[in-house]
Amino acid sequence: MVQRLFFASVFVGALLGTGQSARAQTPSPDAAAAAAAVAEIRQTIDSAWKEVQAFDKAGGKPGAPDHPALKWHATLWTYREQHPGTEAAARATADAIRLLVRGQFWDQAHARTEAVGADEAAWERLSAAIYEEGSTRKDFEYVIATLSKIAAATKSPTITSAVMLDIARAQRRQGDVAAATKSFEASRSAAPDSASGQEADRVLYEINYLSVGLPAPTFSTKGRNGKTVDLASFRGRPVVLVFWSTT
Amino acid sequence: MQCVAEVPLLKQLNAKYGKDVVFVGISVDTNLDRLDKFIKDKGISWPQVGDGKEFSGAVPKLYRPNGTPTLYVVDAAGKIAARLNSAEKIEETVQPLLSQP
Repeated sequence: MVQRLFFASVFVGALLGTGQSARAQTPSPDAAAAAAAVAEIRQTIDSAWKEVQAFDKAGGKPGAPDHPALKWHATLWTYREQHPGTEAAARATADAIRLLVRGQFWDQAHARTEAVGADEAAWERLSAAIYEEGSTRKDFEYVIATLSKIAAATKSPTITSAVMLDIARAQRRQGDVAAATKSFEASRSAAPDSASGQEADRVLYEINYLSVGLPAPTFSTKGRNGKTVDLASFRGRPVVLVFWSTT
Repeated sequence: MQCVAEVPLLKQLNAKYGKDVVFVGISVDTNLDRLDKFIKDKGISWPQVGDGKEFSGAVPKLYRPNGTPTLYVVDAAGKIAARLNSAEKIEETVQPLLSQP
């Protein structure tokens, strides 16, 4: 399985955006400390998700009072409050709420989300968690309302791009392709080089060139056995294109 | 679902529908020796494409899959009939295309 690591790259992008310019000059003690804090919080977050996975695997139910998401969320939220404005706190914030969403503790997730300011870097990762809630509940009203407020209030292009991407996904799931297309375009134009902007570009391509009923893009190329594979030559028979990987 | 886990199902489907439906594998592997060995070892008989350039390869660039497995079903007229994320849905997608005149 090859997953394009979208969520991971959003975060790495956020790191590069702030951390790397500092590192490119003489590495200051502050930058080194910040990087160490990020590494440490990532370990905490890894432990949290491992425990949640084990809980799920053992048959644990969402919403259960002994759900590990509750405990880990509390740990991460305390970290956020003790280290306001740091990169590590942004990550802790986003994953605290992602954990609540995974455990289906909706009210608590909403209350925490309310506390996250529109210009906090946490939104670059949190946005997808809000979408995940909509996806789980098959109801995208909350997603669109919440993320639209952030889109209207934030001054950060990368946050605009991230939240517009998830608004667009929600609109697409609601079947409103016209609205979704506009939102994907807004996501792309806000920050074309960010992970969100590039994902928006990919989905726009999918909508514009790969929707059902459109002519399949043709190709003619040499196959692994040396024989030419020409899509147009198969006209008259259905074709199944399997994108895959041995890894 | 891992792509390699779907190979036995694809073999089954190719055996059952291979006369009427063309299966084409497009690999995003970077190690082509490994890919060629895998194709040979598993006895994969349908056409395989792969240039070692992962998602920037010539064909992946045209279809821009956001991960693997991603499948596109193309009808007899060359139009896109479906995008799938597992081989398990191939049969139900392809059957109505075969009953068309």
